[in-house]
Amino acid sequence: MEREQGREKELKPEGRLKVFGIRHLSPAGAYYVREYLDHIRPEQILIEGPSDFTELIEELGSEEVKPPVAVMAYTTELPIRTILYPFAVYSPEYQAVLWAREHGCPCRFCDLPSEIFLGLSARRQAEKEDGGEPKEGESPLSFVYRRLDEQSDDGDSETFWERTMEHAADAAGYREGAARFGTALRRLSLGYGEDDEETMLREAYMRRAIDEAVKGGIAPEKVVVVTGSFHVEGLLGNGADGGKGEGHGPWAPMTDRQLSRLPRLPAKKTLMPYSYFRLSGRSGYGAGNRAPAYYEFLWEGLCRGEADYAGHRYLATLAGFQREQGNLVSSAEIIEAERLALSLARLHGGRIPTLQDLRDGAVTCMGHGNFGEVAVAVAGTEIGTKIGSLPEGVSQTSIQSDFYRQLGELRLEKYKSVTAQELSLDLRENLKVKSQKAAFMDLERSFFLHRLKVLGIPFAQPQAVRQERATWAERWMLRWTPEAEIHIVEAVLKGDTVEQAASFALKGQAEDGQGIAGIAKVIEEACNCGMPEALDYAVDALQKTAVDAVSVAEIAETSTRLSVVLRYGDIRRLNRDPLVPILSQLFLRACLILPGECACDDPAAKPLAQAMCALHQVSVDHDFLDGGRWQKTLAGIAGRDDLNTRLSGLAAAILLEAGKMDSQELGREVERRLSPGIPAELGAGWFEGLSMKNHYSLIARLNLWEKLNGYLDLLDDQEFKRALVFLRRAFADFTSEEKNQIAENLGEIWQVNPSQVSEVVNGPVSADEIEALGGLDDFDFGDI
Amino acid sequence: MSGQNVQRLPAEQLFQKEIQALIENEKNPVPTGWQMSPRSVLTYICGGRAGDVEVTPKYIGNKRLVEIAISTLVTDRALLLIGEPGTAKSWLSEHLTAAVNGDSTRVVQGTAGTTEEQIRYSWNYAMLIANGPTKEALIPSPIYRAMEQGMIARVEEISRCASEVQDALISLLSEKRVSVPELGVEVPARKGFSIIATANTRDKGVNDMSAALKRRFNIVVLPSPDSLEAEMEIVRTRVGQLSESLDLNARLPEEEVVEKVCTIFRELRAGATLDGKQKLKPTSGVLSTAEAISLLANSMALAGSFGTGAVTDYDLAAGLQGAIVKEDSKDAKVWEEYLENIMKKRGSRWLSLYRECRELNG
Repeated sequence: MEREQGREKELKPEGRLKVFGIRHLSPAGAYYVREYLDHIRPEQILIEGPSDFTELIEELGSEEVKPPVAVMAYTTELPIRTILYPFAVYSPEYQAVLWAREHGCPCRFCDLPSEIFLGLSARRQAEKEDGGEPKEGESPLSFVYRRLDEQSDDGDSETFWERTMEHAADAAGYREGAARFGTALRRLSLGYGEDDEETMLREAYMRRAIDEAVKGGIAPEKVVVVTGSFHVEGLLGNGADGGKGEGHGPWAPMTDRQLSRLPRLPAKKTLMPYSYFRLSGRSGYGAGNRAPAYYEFLWEGLCRGEADYAGHRYLATLAGFQREQGNLVSSAEIIEAERLALSLARLHGGRIPTLQDLRDGAVTCMGHGNFGEVAVAVAGTEIGTKIGSLPEGVSQTSIQSDFYRQLGELRLEKYKSVTAQELSLDLRENLKVKSQKAAFMDLERSFFLHRLKVLGIPFAQPQAVRQERATWAERWMLRWTPEAEIHIVEAVLKGDTVEQAASFALKGQAEDGQGIAGIAKVIEEACNCGMPEALDYAVDALQKTAVDAVSVAEIAETSTRLSVVLRYGDIRRLNRDPLVPILSQLFLRACLILPGECACDDPAAKPLAQAMCALHQVSVDHDFLDGGRWQKTLAGIAGRDDLNTRLSGLAAAILLEAGKMDSQELGREVERRLSPGIPAELGAGWFEGLSMKNHYSLIARLNLWEKLNGYLDLLDDQEFKRALVFLRRAFADFTSEEKNQIAENLGEIWQVNPSQVSEVVNGPVSADEIEALGGLDDFDFGDI
Repeated sequence: MSGQNVQRLPAEQLFQKEIQALIENEKNPVPTGWQMSPRSVLTYICGGRAGDVEVTPKYIGNKRLVEIAISTLVTDRALLLIGEPGTAKSWLSEHLTAAVNGDSTRVVQGTAGTTEEQIRYSWNYAMLIANGPTKEALIPSPIYRAMEQGMIARVEEISRCASEVQDALISLLSEKRVSVPELGVEVPARKGFSIIATANTRDKGVNDMSAALKRRFNIVVLPSPDSLEAEMEIVRTRVGQLSESLDLNARLPEEEVVEKVCTIFRELRAGATLDGKQKLKPTSGVLSTAEAISLLANSMALAGSFGTGAVTDYDLAAGLQGAIVKEDSKDAKVWEEYLENIMKKRGSRWLSLYRECRELNG
């Protein structure tokens, strides 16, 4: 300590600054920074973090805030950029904030304001896109870490850090060690990377903040700066030499002119709850935190003054998880795991096991040498499920307040619980209540829940409705998770209220929707959400895309969706007029291109057949569509010989069903299609198409069967075999009952007992027949 | 057991110099009953320096697994090494005992015929009948001796022993003493006693181990070498050591030959080509690294005795045929498929080996 003071005197006045270098999310750093603050008793604390976050410090330090929480800044204009500063209970920055509050010490963030951070990141990306060659290979920092991985005794830089720094015995040791680590890192990596410029700017700004504090009349030795250890040298010395020197030279804070030249993007900021799960997944934060829950154990251990607390707690928790999953873990195994971990730590010269030692101990003793046996328990123990919380009203984003307001208005608060609850909605007007609002309560609820669904907020899941096509009924499963809260906060990037955000999300979906069917889905969603504006937008997008739509199948799918919205949309009290022209337009288009598409092979005919049925349904459902044209189109297809015969048959069937083709006409058509000379597969294929719809009306027409019978009689053996293949397929769709009726028809034609025929038709296949059918397998189907 | 006429010297004699150097340069505390510190044991197994003596690596692979194994022995827990055939289980167990105790010879070689007496103690029946049960008539097992001396005993192939015999170990390990009711004495284990057992997971004729027994061991699973380079290094090192002790009269196989053997073995083991692009049928037997080593030594013997002293493709083909086609005609087909589909298409470097192999596979 004496030596240190001596050195400080040698330095310039700025050297009297108290800089405490830390690593973000470091339990020992958090503990010792408090000890250090107790020791120095500063009059001003400066913390690394965007300076405009200072206004959130009071809320951040409030007792009701339960970390992990994060401060997020986001641009208000597109494209949206964000920066995020997560804090856990063991973040040194967070503990410094708490200390300041407890001791009434002024405390500020001192890094570049978030608007500049965002501006710089936008500029950097623009430069990259401007043909600046992207740098190949790894960044200098990750290179240094990789080399550290290779060189460290533990083979892992993370374990190296834990063993040397997190297990540090006192504040002075930690401070000195962190500063050395950061300085070494700085000298090795600075001057080679893309981020150098930003680092220099940030440090100049931090010096500016220090300068301001000192000019404000606070003695430099009463200013404590809590910053990443990387910046220690940059703050004590001058970063302008690229960090290569010893940190001497003029100590230069950023000037007003320099500051005004930096790019800015308008931004908003908010405090939000965060989760350990997300914390563990954040890489690239410099100090990735792979095991947040374990680090909290470390923090608790430090607070209790028990160095080996984290180890006990880790293994006991892990064993608990193992038992929960029904794996037997004896206390002896836990003890053995701990002994092994300790002995591994000693092998590396440590006093206390690190996470790696503990995990290896657990794998060996509890997992019988297989990591797989304890993998789930390890994840549960190291990452944990902890989620932070903020008191209501604290720094809520606009969308959060909107969410809670609506939750209250719609009387959904009781569903905000961790147990899943079912909610049944009846969207029809409730005639028993007086007020307009209460009458449509369920409808409003439905809108609200659908909007949450569009935003991907995992609060409500739609359930299947028991009654088919009951468009007025909806069932939802509601379950609140703190994770949902995080999603809500993040949705603020899309808009200030739930409705705005949903609208923005729907617009986005409409823009990159996959084809017209995708946009139709958006229209459906917009209707479910009760958002006319988004509906108009999506219809507009559909209109533009529809011009290029060339596939009947796609048009049919789109039309069906639109048709549903049109027919049942009134339950949602939405103006659906804009849909009428677009549906007419699509329908017309389908009529025009359908005959052309019908010239296709059998595999392509299948989806087309479905499309034809769907389009027919649409034409029946809506009077405003040009039904006459649809019939003409169908008649055209039915009458033409150069199209796929199955589709021609189907067209005839649809006409028949609609009563637009009489028996005579059908008879003529059958005779024409099923006449000798026409290849058997074409004739039988046509019949197959014809029998795709309305079996009963076919069965009822005796003369149809007479003609079919007569046709088959005319065929020679070879042709008969070919025809048989198609007919078998055609009749496969008929039910047994229907087959009986056909048998009756045939019995009448052949003048035999109907039940005899039925027996033959429905009975099991005999051995001889199987052989005969087997012969069909060898049959050359040619290009059928 | 003097001199160089022994086919295979125990590890502590083979690497006497290194062990000596490590003991002389010891800087860390040595646990009771050990002759060197855990750190030095690690250096002995994974390689490094001791003073001015270069310590060769004995186990090439995951260093962390060796650390766990050594730490287990420090905590006086028994160690169980599990792995597929040929993953250097026995090798590691021998070298661990050689480094810790300087004596790797207290071994129970487990077979289906191993009896409980071989685990605990047996009697010199002539003396037993003549004088009744006396201390002189008692023949201690290797484990008994290890307990008396506070050293490490090895149990090889523990899963091949019948379950009754395995059970005998349970109380030995938990109570750390052998009782001899015939003499009315109990022999407590001195500090430093432990057991290293090895077990096979994938072989015919192995018995499952009971949970009770498993709980008394710290289990370390040894994997197959995880990369071609690692496997090649293992093979190269071991073949070098073998050829010295066996007087094979042949030059060490060239890098290319080692690479070819390791490639073929790895591909047939994994059922896919090294680049993962092509699937192929694996053979019925496990093609272990240990087999690759003996295959090369075998080829060297062929080359030394009947050839020019350099391992040729002809020598190699004979070894490959023997190693790969072990069980039945199925393997011959797998091998032929591999030859035609993979090796033939690998270009000129592999062509002559392909021809020789095809000739032999017939």
